[in-house]
Amino acid sequence: MENQDEKWNVKNKIQFKCNDVAFNIMFAPSLKNITMKIKFFGALAISLLVGLSACKKEQETPTVPNEEEVITTLTYTLTPTAGGTPVVFSFKDLDGDGGNDPVIVHADLKANTEYMGVIELLNEQETPAEDITAEIKEEDDEHQFFYQNDISGLHVHYMDQDDNGKPVGLKTHVVTGAQGSGVLTVTLRHQPDKSASGVSDGEIANAGGETDIEVTFNVNVQ
Amino acid sequence: MFNKFILLFFLSIGFLTGKTQECNYHIQGEVLDDQTNKPIPYVNIYLRELQQGDVSDSVGQFVLHNLCTKVYQIEISCVGYSEQHLNVLVNSDTSFTVKLRSNSEILQDLTILGTSSTASTQETAVLDQLTITERSHKNLANMLEDISGVTTIKSGNKVSKPVVQGLYGNRLTLLNNGVAQSGQQWGVDHSPEIDPLVASEISVIKGASALAYMGSSLGSVVIVNPGEIPQEEGWHGRALYVYETNGRGHGTNLQLRNYKNGWAWRTNITLKQNGDLHTPDYYLTNTGSKEANGAFQLEKRFSDKWKADAYISSYNTEIGILRGSHIGNTTDLEEALQRDEPFFTKSTFSYDIEPPRQLVNHHLVKLHTQYTIDSTQWVEVTYAGQWDLRKEFDVRRGGRSNIPALSLNQWSHFVEGKYHGYFGEYWSLVGGVQYRSIDNTNDPETNILPLIPDYLSYENGVFAILKRQWNSWEIETGGRWNSVDQRVVRITNGFPREIVRSENVYNTFGILGGVTYQIRNDSKLAFNIGYASRNPEVNELYSNGLHQGVGGIEEGDPNLKIEKSLKTTLSWRSQLSPKWNVSSEWYFQSIQDYIYLAPQNEIRLTIRGAFPVFKYEQTFAQIMGWDVGVVFKPIETLETTLKYSWIKGNDLTKDLGLINMPSNSLFASAKYDWNVDGFFSKVDFTLTNKYVFQQTNIVEGQDFVLPPDAYNLMGMKISGTAPMKKSEWHFFMTIDNLLNVKYRDYLNRQRYFADDLGRSIVFGASFSF
Repeated sequence: MENQDEKWNVKNKIQFKCNDVAFNIMFAPSLKNITMKIKFFGALAISLLVGLSACKKEQETPTVPNEEEVITTLTYTLTPTAGGTPVVFSFKDLDGDGGNDPVIVHADLKANTEYMGVIELLNEQETPAEDITAEIKEEDDEHQFFYQNDISGLHVHYMDQDDNGKPVGLKTHVVTGAQGSGVLTVTLRHQPDKSASGVSDGEIANAGGETDIEVTFNVNVQ
Repeated sequence: MFNKFILLFFLSIGFLTGKTQECNYHIQGEVLDDQTNKPIPYVNIYLRELQQGDVSDSVGQFVLHNLCTKVYQIEISCVGYSEQHLNVLVNSDTSFTVKLRSNSEILQDLTILGTSSTASTQETAVLDQLTITERSHKNLANMLEDISGVTTIKSGNKVSKPVVQGLYGNRLTLLNNGVAQSGQQWGVDHSPEIDPLVASEISVIKGASALAYMGSSLGSVVIVNPGEIPQEEGWHGRALYVYETNGRGHGTNLQLRNYKNGWAWRTNITLKQNGDLHTPDYYLTNTGSKEANGAFQLEKRFSDKWKADAYISSYNTEIGILRGSHIGNTTDLEEALQRDEPFFTKSTFSYDIEPPRQLVNHHLVKLHTQYTIDSTQWVEVTYAGQWDLRKEFDVRRGGRSNIPALSLNQWSHFVEGKYHGYFGEYWSLVGGVQYRSIDNTNDPETNILPLIPDYLSYENGVFAILKRQWNSWEIETGGRWNSVDQRVVRITNGFPREIVRSENVYNTFGILGGVTYQIRNDSKLAFNIGYASRNPEVNELYSNGLHQGVGGIEEGDPNLKIEKSLKTTLSWRSQLSPKWNVSSEWYFQSIQDYIYLAPQNEIRLTIRGAFPVFKYEQTFAQIMGWDVGVVFKPIETLETTLKYSWIKGNDLTKDLGLINMPSNSLFASAKYDWNVDGFFSKVDFTLTNKYVFQQTNIVEGQDFVLPPDAYNLMGMKISGTAPMKKSEWHFFMTIDNLLNVKYRDYLNRQRYFADDLGRSIVFGASFSF
């Protein structure tokens, strides 16, 4: 190293450390000729590259975000008004969008029967599970559930209202008609236009807004 | 880190020894207006190296004395004309003619007699300062829109990226003052974080291989260049104000510069704001934006051999995203597609920006020093640090709309050493080594799983370009090697969440061969062939999750291979007669293992409904195009232009068109100049017409909806220049979409939801002093 120093006529050198490897950079205030300068510059550029290349670290472990907004579970519980065992439809997707497939529980309803329906939303990634229903209730003027089905005689009516007297759909009254089967789609819209035509009657067409939930259940009316 | 760069600056002090040689040549020259062929008086001719110059006399003549045998860089500037930098080889007493181009929209290379230009053999288009001024209400990408071969891909009008010969984003390098822009280039909904108003010129290299620049270019490069600060003592600068009726946008820009005792500095401040934009029929609710940018440039010449400069810039913007384009699932998208007017459209105008919105900050520091070894060689060292912050806000439940849904923080450091040399009369060499590190992290404040993971990336590059010029020929060849080491940490989307680390090392190469041949003084042919490869970016490897704005689940593929491109370009320009000028650029690019988001035969069920799944896949792609232009000047004061652009991108494996390829277009313009006496010395009037064909290369099933119909837009511009004693006023008025036509553009993602912009009148005034 000493010989080298002399050759370059080094007056100073600076050391820096990275990952416990030390790098020496020398600078030479008076290089005699052009060839030397070019060599020196080349040597410097290469050593700098090598030095910097060796200076790698590992990315820090990221903090897993607290996904408090996620809805993993929707249960729609229908209790016969005349008494009897409640019927439960549910949709559960623990890992959120993507990943594993959701678990869907379909159910059967009785013909010519009236039910009281209640929606419950949970974030089961948290322990204990977080109740998202409360969040919807708090912002009920910005949310509305829609219940669409293709089963003749099955009707869903809103049983709750927001502060403006518009429906929310957390509580519903369900009436079945004759036997049949089909699908029931439950949709939650965020920031729908509740005053648009038909929206208060449960028609989704003019509602707009973003879909927060859209789940479809198979329904047998027996 | 810091110490190392300080060192390099000190290092250069060591080289301050020069040797004297015989220096008694002189150059005689003449400056002409390239349209009228009349001499231009009072043109500044400046030899930066010697810090001496001359001003052309009343018949356009100038002389430079005491020159040595070497290549000099000569700067020729005059108010009202594009500045020219020429590299002139002096080995005898020489004389030459320079033609300066006034405020013309047609972009052409320079005519220099008996000299060489630093320009590459690759086709380059340049926007000059005046054009930039007259488009100051636009962002960078929109400013470049009418250059042949350049289009834009947009998510609404204020979020747009340049597309050069069909490539954009990860495949197109943007250079901000010589530094490859480092930010979130991957997203179509991420606009480049650059204020174009800092530039004295913006060039687009439509190349076959970009050897000299770090970044993942597959050929082309966009260069935003503030230029060197003129060494004129006293206060100089420019003040600019522009108003746009559509969106009621205001914009102002102030440039101020001074030079004293070898120190030159320039500062640049831009402020812009607009409110809701308007289609011919309705407001685009929540499309306002705000922008505040500042830049400071400092140059010091320590001796005739050594100079150094520093550049700091800060770009800050908040952009509103059309409220009606924010969707929850594909049912919402289908509904939106059926509507004439988007949901949430308000009948009143507002400057307010609500979620969905983007908040972006980009800061750059660049230190550069150049040392002249001897009359034919010099070396440069550059350091650049960039800090990019991007926060995107969605409409969220439970008062979370003001918590970003995406929050990315990126640091990057870049170091470069470069050598330039001329050997003998004909040969020149440029070579360099480069290093870059990027640290990209997600802020967990979002409370959402990130779409792209945290990563560190370390990159090394080496390049060399050799050129030879003799007689009518210019030959260029070179190569580049680049190595990337990506260290990625991602959070899985299974439950419970897990942390997975991976490391990828990629080596990529570039090779270029180019030749230009000057057929006659007025006709030039250029041919380039280049190989370039690009490593898969982190978003392509590891994206995972719901890209809500696009209504799809996007999945990366960690096994993606390097993309390999072979591109050839052939261009021909000719001044057939004083009245006719023709140019033609042809390009053909084959890309093996072209990475793209392919729709899958899978619909994934989530609680929000069913989403189509898109996966990053590779295919064999081919892009070819032809840009042709004709300029006809029936009389001296009238210039008419006709340009046609044709481009086709194909997926040869699947035998389908490539998505997001520009539509073909036909552009015509007529410009009339008046040279008048009085307050204005020059007034011009331009009428333009642009016809954009329907993109017919896309079939059903490749997109949510078929590409929109063809459309035709007219526009006009009046501008006038009023020179004062030592200053100059420039006024302009532009009307875009003159006939208030209702249309949608294939490359604007907002087309799923709303029409494009209606008529807009722009008024602007600039004062240069």
